[in-house]
Amino acid sequence: MPEPVIKARNLTKSFGSGHTVVVAVDNVTLDIQPGEIILVMGPSGSGKTTLLSMLGGLLKPTQGTIEIDNADITTLKESALPEIRALKIGFIFQAFNLLDALTVQENILFPAQLHAGGINEARDRADVLINQLGLHKRRNALPQTLSGGEKQRVAIARALINEPKVILADEPTGNLDSQTGQEVMMILHDIAHEQGYSVVLVSHDPRVEDIADRILWLEDGKLDDRQQERHKWSRDPVCGMRVDERTTTIKTEYHNKQYFFCSDKCLQRFNADPGQYTK
Amino acid sequence: MFKWTWKSLSSQRGTLAGSALGIAFTFILVIFFDAVWRGESVQIVSYPDHVKPDVWVMQSGVGNMHMAMSFVWDWKADQIAKMPGVKRVTPILYMTSVVSAGKHRMFAFIVGLLPDAKRAGPWKLTAGRHIGNPQEAVIPDVFSKITGIGIGDQLRIVDKSFTVVGLSSGTYSSANSVLFVPFADLEEILSSSGTYSYLLVDAKEGTDPNDLAKRIRDQVEKVNALTQKEFVSNDLSMAKQMGVGIIVIMTAICSALAALIVGFTSYSLVIRRRREIAIIKALGIGNDKILISVIVQSGILTFIGFIMAMLFALFVMPAVPLLLPQLTLAVSTPALFQIGLIALVVAVLGALIPAWFVSRLDPATAFHI
Repeated sequence: MPEPVIKARNLTKSFGSGHTVVVAVDNVTLDIQPGEIILVMGPSGSGKTTLLSMLGGLLKPTQGTIEIDNADITTLKESALPEIRALKIGFIFQAFNLLDALTVQENILFPAQLHAGGINEARDRADVLINQLGLHKRRNALPQTLSGGEKQRVAIARALINEPKVILADEPTGNLDSQTGQEVMMILHDIAHEQGYSVVLVSHDPRVEDIADRILWLEDGKLDDRQQERHKWSRDPVCGMRVDERTTTIKTEYHNKQYFFCSDKCLQRFNADPGQYTK
Repeated sequence: MFKWTWKSLSSQRGTLAGSALGIAFTFILVIFFDAVWRGESVQIVSYPDHVKPDVWVMQSGVGNMHMAMSFVWDWKADQIAKMPGVKRVTPILYMTSVVSAGKHRMFAFIVGLLPDAKRAGPWKLTAGRHIGNPQEAVIPDVFSKITGIGIGDQLRIVDKSFTVVGLSSGTYSSANSVLFVPFADLEEILSSSGTYSYLLVDAKEGTDPNDLAKRIRDQVEKVNALTQKEFVSNDLSMAKQMGVGIIVIMTAICSALAALIVGFTSYSLVIRRRREIAIIKALGIGNDKILISVIVQSGILTFIGFIMAMLFALFVMPAVPLLLPQLTLAVSTPALFQIGLIALVVAVLGALIPAWFVSRLDPATAFHI
């Protein structure tokens, strides 16, 4: 078993004091493995974003410890946290949060100024990400001219530019239509399973469950592993995403075998050349 | 980081231009007030600066001309004229008074000239002639331009009427102009006899003015004698004493105004971009870099305002006296350097409140926007 990238122990965060104290996160313990996708779900106000903020070093826990890549960030000085955030963590936000005055390429390179090699050394990495995420034609575009899906892909590239250990994503599909949301989920799935990044997702979107290796339920600040017996998982032969055979309606039969898909797009690809995916 | 600072500032061109204009306006005010003050100071010493004797002789205890009164017995002029090293003594009578011409009023140095004392009279006539007869006057040409009072018109000094016979150049100032009348008329106005106000002493070639002034002080009873340099310097420092307080206050007010404009603009830019600042904090940019960015932003605004003010001072301000001849403006290099220093202080002060706001902005808010 590899060493967890994030080790959170007895995390508690409370706001206010005395009679008005609110415990947003209550004694949460959590390990996140390399390449693992964890989905944190729960009702509104359950503490999901507070938990994500603490894991990202944006918020100090009231109690407990968080180790990221073996560095205990809870004991670090406030002034040391920005470096941890810049180099060990990549953030993806629901509202994309791109910098409006900068182009796609400049947005992606922005966090690289904190990397040892600086922006110049990061240019090659940025080019690779721009090509991987299909942004090569939009390299010099400003965020206001991008579609929602493009914005989120830029945000993903920005999160990856410093090659962090963990990606923290807050409702990454929240502002996207279903098709684009699906694409973004596929990208997150690939960066975790193919490139080894750990991904922690906070989402209300049940479709995100499809790519999660582990689903955690947070309610009233307490965390539980969600029961998953009601699922019967199989892999989408095109993108490799996990698909629940019992609930998905996108399926086909080929050579007397049933195949299940995460989206119509994958089904179309499969139908175009089934042999490629059934070898 | 600098690219982001500049691009996000320049992407709001309207705000940038408006703020830079506001800052430039306050700097222009400082430069303008300073130029007016310096111009007036120069004009205050315009008369002694142009008649330029080697030594000024006046009543003991008097050391300048502006707002002063001096009486020297006429026989002392004869005594000085006989001293070794003295080439010529030109006496003048002098008073400060209000000159009336119709509905117009002018505060003026009135210089009474003896018939043969052209040496102490107007140094450049733009129209008409020198005074030659009783109750004639030479007035500043700018006063003539402003009021329409010209050659042949009447004016009044205290209870005596004069006819304008000449217009002189370089003798107008809004604080005190120089007007020339016959000695006898001024004597009558002052009800004085046998006295002069100042003696303009020209030394023979090879005579040291300092030595001559000392000898006059030592040998002539109850008079003060100063070299041209000392006399002008005394008048200039008197002018500075009178105006410097107001100029300092105006400069302080305008600088505070500029700092407020820079501060308000930087603050509103920061408030408008708090979403982005929270994001870049979340991405790992430290407070120190963001604070530098805010200061740079404030510096850019101030610098643009400063450059606009400099362009105005160098290219527009010299044309102002053509439109407003009553203004004498003297733009000085030290004043421009002073504005540069003020701009630096303004930039830093203007960044303080936005910087405080930035340092307190919680990066976790990036999740809630």
